Amino acid sequence: MTTQAKVKPSFEAIAWRAMRYSGILLIPLAWFHVYLQDVIVGVHAIDIDYVALRLDMVAWVVYDMALLAFAFAHGMYGLRQVSFEFIHGERARRNVSLLILGLWLVVSLIGAVALIGGARPELISH
Amino acid sequence: MASSVSPIKTTAAGYVGYQGREGHYAFLLHRLTGLGTLLFLLIHILDTSTVYFFPALYEHAIALYRSTPFMLGEIGLVFAVVYHGVNGLRIAVTDLWMPKRWAIQTQRKAVWTTLVISVILWAPAALWMLYNMLLHNHGINILPFIGTH
Repeated sequence: MTTQAKVKPSFEAIAWRAMRYSGILLIPLAWFHVYLQDVIVGVHAIDIDYVALRLDMVAWVVYDMALLAFAFAHGMYGLRQVSFEFIHGERARRNVSLLILGLWLVVSLIGAVALIGGARPELISH
Repeated sequence: MASSVSPIKTTAAGYVGYQGREGHYAFLLHRLTGLGTLLFLLIHILDTSTVYFFPALYEHAIALYRSTPFMLGEIGLVFAVVYHGVNGLRIAVTDLWMPKRWAIQTQRKAVWTTLVISVILWAPAALWMLYNMLLHNHGINILPFIGTH
């Protein structure tokens, strides 16, 4: 006999699911980004004017924003999981979590501001 | 309570000493490729952000990415992103929709499948990046039938 009780899912349970769903989403999102920029276009064809052209298009800003949000969160939560394999104390785990959360927020904010602001090649003096 | 053994040592010993064969290697490779990609991603977000904050610095970052050691690293990065995705898909699909397939024998085969798929997806990209690197940095054309572009 089984009885099912409705339990409010914990943060860890939600994160467990989020890692799997975001991972599946990142397969098309990150792969297309890497294959396009690093393989097809290539670093030798990328300069600030190329970035400026790309970030002038709203669709690419939205795409890159999704990538920034999902990939970096997925990676930073993964870092938390791996660090928990080494750090077992409750206090230490909380400190590491806060450190990772802080780094994630700051770097995400920097990236988001740059994406919205776009490239400013006009500021380079030659 | 084995309090004399530090958790870091315990985990590191487990990472190295656990004899789980294929599943163990996939576990380690998933962490290695994930952490490697994250390290690059962190640097990549910050250096690309210079296009807005310090545009003059962006040229230096791009010059660095065009160097041979970095391009070799980028070829490795593409493998990391591809493998982490293929292996992650194995984990996600098995966890979410077919947990009964978490049998060691089934997964040992699946681990090999993920590796083969990853290499197939990575190899053409790696060859193309190698071609670009040798052409631009060393003047060598390893794909003469394509010509230079």
